[in-house]
Amino acid sequence: MAGAAALRRSARRVIRPDEYTFSRTLQHAERLLSSQASPDRGGVLGSELGLYPPERIRNFSIIAHVDHGKSTLADRLLELTGTIKKGHGQPQYLDKLQVERERGITVKAQTATMFYRHAPDESDAPNYLINLIDTPGHVDFSYEVSRSLAACQGALLVVDAAQGVQAQTIANFYLAFESNLSIIPVINKIDQPTADPDNVKAQLKRLFDIDPSEALLTSAKTGQGLSQVLPAVIERIPSPPGKCDSPVRMLLLDSYYDEYKGVICHVAIVDGALHKGDKIASAATGRTYEVLDVGIMHPELTPTGVLYTGQVGYVISGMRSTKEARIGDTLHQAKSTVEPLPGFKPARHMVFSGLYPADGSDFDTLSHAIEKLTCNDASVSVTKETSTALGMGFRCGFLGLLHMDVFHQRLEQEHGAQVISTIPTVPYIFEYGDGSKVQVENPATLASNPGQRIAACWEPTVIATIIIPSEYVGPVIMLCSERRGVQQEYTFIDAQRALLKYQLPLREIIVDFYNELKSITSGYATFDYEDSEYQQSDLVKMDILLNGQPVDAMATIVHNQKAQRVGRELVEKLKKFIERQMFEITIQAAIGSKVIARETLSAMRKNVLAKCYGGDITRKKKLLEKQKEGKKRMKRVGSVDIPQEAFHEILKVSNVK
Amino acid sequence: MLRSAFPLVSHLPPRKPPPIRPARPPPVRPYASSAARPSPPPASAYVHLPFCRKRCLYCDFPIVALGSSSSSSPVDGEGNDPRIADYVRLLLREVAATRPVSNDGVPLETVFFGGGTPSLVPPSLVAAVLDALRGKFGLSASPEVSIEMDPGTFDAAKLRELVGLGVNRVSLGVQAFQDDLLRACGRAHGLREVHDAVGIVTACEGLQNWSMDLISSLPHQTEEMWEESLRCTVDARPTHVSVYDLQIEQGTKFGQLYTPGVHPLPSETDSANLYKIASKWLSEAGYNHYEISSYCKTGYECKHNVTYWQNRSFYAFGLGSASYINGVRFSRPRRMKEYADWVQKLEIGAWSHEPDSAGMKDMAMDVVMLSLRTAWGLDLRSFSKSFGKSLTISLCNTFRPFVESGLVIVMDMERRALQPSDFKVDLQYEGEIGSKVAFIRLSDPDGFLLSNELISLAFGVIAP
Repeated sequence: MAGAAALRRSARRVIRPDEYTFSRTLQHAERLLSSQASPDRGGVLGSELGLYPPERIRNFSIIAHVDHGKSTLADRLLELTGTIKKGHGQPQYLDKLQVERERGITVKAQTATMFYRHAPDESDAPNYLINLIDTPGHVDFSYEVSRSLAACQGALLVVDAAQGVQAQTIANFYLAFESNLSIIPVINKIDQPTADPDNVKAQLKRLFDIDPSEALLTSAKTGQGLSQVLPAVIERIPSPPGKCDSPVRMLLLDSYYDEYKGVICHVAIVDGALHKGDKIASAATGRTYEVLDVGIMHPELTPTGVLYTGQVGYVISGMRSTKEARIGDTLHQAKSTVEPLPGFKPARHMVFSGLYPADGSDFDTLSHAIEKLTCNDASVSVTKETSTALGMGFRCGFLGLLHMDVFHQRLEQEHGAQVISTIPTVPYIFEYGDGSKVQVENPATLASNPGQRIAACWEPTVIATIIIPSEYVGPVIMLCSERRGVQQEYTFIDAQRALLKYQLPLREIIVDFYNELKSITSGYATFDYEDSEYQQSDLVKMDILLNGQPVDAMATIVHNQKAQRVGRELVEKLKKFIERQMFEITIQAAIGSKVIARETLSAMRKNVLAKCYGGDITRKKKLLEKQKEGKKRMKRVGSVDIPQEAFHEILKVSNVK
Repeated sequence: MLRSAFPLVSHLPPRKPPPIRPARPPPVRPYASSAARPSPPPASAYVHLPFCRKRCLYCDFPIVALGSSSSSSPVDGEGNDPRIADYVRLLLREVAATRPVSNDGVPLETVFFGGGTPSLVPPSLVAAVLDALRGKFGLSASPEVSIEMDPGTFDAAKLRELVGLGVNRVSLGVQAFQDDLLRACGRAHGLREVHDAVGIVTACEGLQNWSMDLISSLPHQTEEMWEESLRCTVDARPTHVSVYDLQIEQGTKFGQLYTPGVHPLPSETDSANLYKIASKWLSEAGYNHYEISSYCKTGYECKHNVTYWQNRSFYAFGLGSASYINGVRFSRPRRMKEYADWVQKLEIGAWSHEPDSAGMKDMAMDVVMLSLRTAWGLDLRSFSKSFGKSLTISLCNTFRPFVESGLVIVMDMERRALQPSDFKVDLQYEGEIGSKVAFIRLSDPDGFLLSNELISLAFGVIAP
């Protein structure tokens, strides 16, 4: 499932507005973090936490299509319960965001504990402890989205009253539905002039079989209908299950590294109670730790000394690195054997790419940046590698394309590293004549003319599920078969929507499959996948040669039948992006010693400044110096200068149909 | 030696023997700015006379457009414009306020009146400037005194007058031999004025040395037109030809209208071809291609420009002009008001050529950039002495592939071209640089055509 989650994120990633969500989420998180003690935030001492047995606890999350009002709704609920102060201005958050960014990614923790008095009119109305467990940002780039849902018993499914159900609504709904969560539909933004809540209700009924009477109508902007939300949470969402008397057992939801406190884990207590000083163990690693600090996020870290069954909070236990804190892991009372909670799977790196400094001299900067970043994202694997074209760099393994993209972006934005990445690849397995096998994470490491016969090769596949309006079935089937997919299932989920299941080579979907799918379905397709088996395939290594010299960073592994086409497109693209030089350049794609595509870039004819008038040479000199600087930015293979853009551009053709 | 220095085709000898005729091209001199030796004081002066009737559409020089009065007599039409006299007064003040670099009285060997259109300036005012220079710095026994003249701005009398003052070299701004092209460039003259001007210049007693300026790669210029221009040029028998490849400069009308390499400008290949045609035709007509854009009959190099290529110091006077004194390059303000203010500062001693310690790298880049523009090329031994052996070797290694591909030519002390293999051997030789390979130059025309590429490669070696 790790791969599936990764792809789900990949899929989300390609919708541009998600970046917006991400930044909104950061702001939102910042809001949580920045809100200092609020006057009415109630008792949160450990003894008082004991007043909230599971039946007085509700754990929920908010799921929505991007921009349907999720963050605003979360803010309002936190304000309503006095968890944060009302009216914190946006600009402040932005300023702080910068600071947060400089510190790393501590902002990604998105759990908040609220205290809420249900039915306040009655004098003996009980108080509830409500945890909003959100995975924003997270949803995009961490590797176990569903783990957060695993700590919830219910979810608010927020739908924009004007836009109605959107692709992500469906994906999110099924995600929550599969996790057996109670779903409370919230039709939001009803203040808009174009709001049509009845139509949205009908959609919910048709698509999800949700009773129209269940939908709450709200406007997070005007506050309309908000008072119904938390009562609905209490009434409709079950309290967390769990045995209070059992030894402590908890799910690790998230972790991050704090410079002063060390690794901070977010946990959901499933059974038993966790006290400061307890000895706990990791089911995944077997390591044991002492609980040094424990508490709730209210919304900032608030020590309570204890967490009880069903509660959600944080634990600091002397872990040195987030690599020890595997998301989805079960932490439990040391020296007892427990059944691990479902959820733990080691991160599987399904997409590999070489990362190199864009300016050759910046290796140390990149190295430092990667080190810092992986401190808070243990899901990236990093090994050093060297390319003749690009110099020293790193081979990094990611959970998916989005994960890779975000990693790049953060390297550049937070650490100022300029990165060239090589064509992403998946882990292939090659078997030689003597029976030995190698896993290939970097195509360049595979010999172009191996001394031994390659007996067989395998590539990872996925089972992809695609839900689309029925009119798009034709083009989608076409797309899948172009991508070497094998149909497993083709059914209709209702009068309008079809469900397709395909086994597809992972390689075929890692770059632009979702983009393509979205574009041929006008954005209506929802797409998800889970890892499947390796399948035997006819794979070949394709080299790109410039004037006969192979460019290691451009080597790819392709399916034999597609080699010709991919090779042709690559050399054509390169011809466009390599500038003419003082000699002719041949650009070739070759499999072994067989050239399958070739282009020739003729020599530059003229680059001369005729005038050097009146002895004023300074201007001319400046021009030549600029030209020199331009050359410096190039990567050189043999005598050929390759502009950095060429490396970026070939990424785009690497997954040609 | 340049092949064209010993022309096989010698049916077009100079009409009259030149006054000074060195047997060989000027020797490559030690570089003035090299830190290893103090720079000799300037023996050249550039004087900027910025007035034009109107601005040509490709021009981004500091000029002053006088406005159209072409209907009046070419001799005194603009000559009476008070702006010219005012400017010359300012120029004279600058000359007066300039301290000679040497007290030993190194006289000027060359004076160059450039523009603008210097031929719009009345000879009496040119005389005033020459007198001022003579008084301040002295003139050598036989200085080269050049002036740029545009067709349609002078008559025989005016030219005679100038020659009488000591002007002995004319650079005639013809640019093209097609009315359509002249018009498209916004030139203030037509083909008829061109022919008239050539007639006046060639008929002028006492003037043997004159140059024709041409521009290649003009919009809509065809190969046939270019050949026609070259034919007319050769027929006119100037001692010198300057062939400028059109540069599209930002901020000019051409900059707005055209993109290099895109129609109606010739493609890169076509433009290169025009350059090659000029090189071939002019060489065959007995001209030496002694610098990227300069051709001359043997002995008729423009001595003033050679000063630039050899990185020697020179004075400059006037609006926007650039001087090179004591190792410092200085460009005067390009706007009249600012220039006037600057002259005033100079007069009250509030401005001086601070001997700025230009870095060795900058000097090495200047030397490489300037010498590789010429057929004489880069003197490796001298370069090595000034900037070190290891830099010289790196430079040679960088050029090696291009020696093999023929863009760069290596020569021995006798300026005989060597085989690329000799170059390879010489580089491996531990001894003195230049023991065998003494000079490197860019080949004509292919190396010259790629001079920017090759020089910027060298820059990358000098200042990585």
